Amino acid sequence: MKKLTMMVAALGLCFLCAQTPLAGDTLATVKQKGVLVAGVKDSLPPFGYVDEKTREIVGYDIDFVKAIAQRLGVRLDLKPVTSASRMPQLSEGNIDIIAATMTKTPERAKQIDFSHTYFATGQKFLVKKGTVKGLKDLEGKKIGTAKGSTSEQNAAQALPTATVLSFDDYPQAFLALQQGKVFAVTTDESILAGMLAKAPNKAMFEITEVRISDEPYGLGLRKGDAAFLAVVNQALLEMERSGQAKAIFDKWFGPGSPTPMARGFVIKPD
Amino acid sequence: MLKYHFDWGTVLSGRYLDWLLSGVVVTLEISALSLALAMFLGVLVAMLRLGPLGFLRRLAQAYLEFFRNTPLLVQIFFWYFGSYKILPQALNDWLATTNFEFAAGVVALGIYTSAFIAEDIRSGVRAIPKEQMEAARSAGFGYLGAMRHVILPQAVRITIPPLVNQFLNLTKNSSLAMTIGVAELTYQARQVESYSFKGLEAFSAAALAYLLISLFIAGAVNLYTRWVLRPAAGR
Repeated sequence: MKKLTMMVAALGLCFLCAQTPLAGDTLATVKQKGVLVAGVKDSLPPFGYVDEKTREIVGYDIDFVKAIAQRLGVRLDLKPVTSASRMPQLSEGNIDIIAATMTKTPERAKQIDFSHTYFATGQKFLVKKGTVKGLKDLEGKKIGTAKGSTSEQNAAQALPTATVLSFDDYPQAFLALQQGKVFAVTTDESILAGMLAKAPNKAMFEITEVRISDEPYGLGLRKGDAAFLAVVNQALLEMERSGQAKAIFDKWFGPGSPTPMARGFVIKPD
Repeated sequence: MLKYHFDWGTVLSGRYLDWLLSGVVVTLEISALSLALAMFLGVLVAMLRLGPLGFLRRLAQAYLEFFRNTPLLVQIFFWYFGSYKILPQALNDWLATTNFEFAAGVVALGIYTSAFIAEDIRSGVRAIPKEQMEAARSAGFGYLGAMRHVILPQAVRITIPPLVNQFLNLTKNSSLAMTIGVAELTYQARQVESYSFKGLEAFSAAALAYLLISLFIAGAVNLYTRWVLRPAAGR
């Protein structure tokens, strides 16, 4: 009988333990473990990609979580995620924070919490040069994008007559464009610029003026984890104030970078 | 015990239900077409593999080993992206205007499965004592005639149970076609998840649909063996 009681107690303990990563206080857990696990993209320059020389994941997103981990005084552990897998990974406790080109949307905000906007861009189209003047030229065409992204939903809404083909991630969609299997690839301008910069035959392609949405990126945190959210937001604001945030932007999107863009935003409380 | 509250109402109504149902239709279409291709190629390769010509035997064996021992996902990418480098440009341009994702999916699934089907058929044929072939040949049948009228009708009965497995595997493997943008059941379930965030419900519904399709296939083959291939004694 005593044995049985012990077993039941142990079982109960297991359930309690199993629940901590879901409900608990991420800040305390991270500090206790001494490691912050961040879900990042690993094939999406310049946000997150594997550097050919060092074989490490680098990029704009990575520099931000690196700075946050430094502030917390913990080690940073990077875990590659896709657009479709990042939210389940977060809610299951496999990662502590999402830094993976994630657009803040009201629907997503019902499931997770977002930090202040740390990057802002808009959704455009990557096409063969001279094929698209306006949105009309894209009607009824095959448009490639990535599964589980906002780009997929925006494109279906802006172009109801087009066929939206969702690939596993953006590199496959771009390959399909190069092979003429899709007419355009659509996603955030910054991602398109990154893909274009790496393409061997970049002279053949261009990014359209047509813009179908605004895309503010936020870091994703588990819902209702107020202490951690406050620390992350505080870190972002301090990075803006000290000029570190702008320095990271210039490193990846400055005039000398392969993907020059204007910084049309500052990090501020929403 | 369960903390999660299932919300079936969202997933099983309106446009989400339409998406899932259209996914079921595409899954059935791609499975049926690949199955036809796989059966045709499978029988052909098995015959070559068992045939009297050494050159064709070796060719068939190479085909079997290659397609049986490489991952299906790699083969799908090969047919969809790799074919571009091999085919002439004019053909590529024409293919881009068609539903090429679907066609590449059918070809990849059909060829992959045909390798397994060929092996099942071969072992079925080998289970028929060789005296049967000798008797048929001495009764005046040619090799093909003996195969068709004597050996295959017996071999098919033995082969059916392993073939059912291949049919079921094929149906489930068709979910990999989502990686090249074929809007089959798993693709649609994933789409429902990304719009509604009801992933558990969407994938549970998809799993149930796969289960029903599989049970239907197994049941249909069961009826076929019972009624069409029933022992000829009563006739």
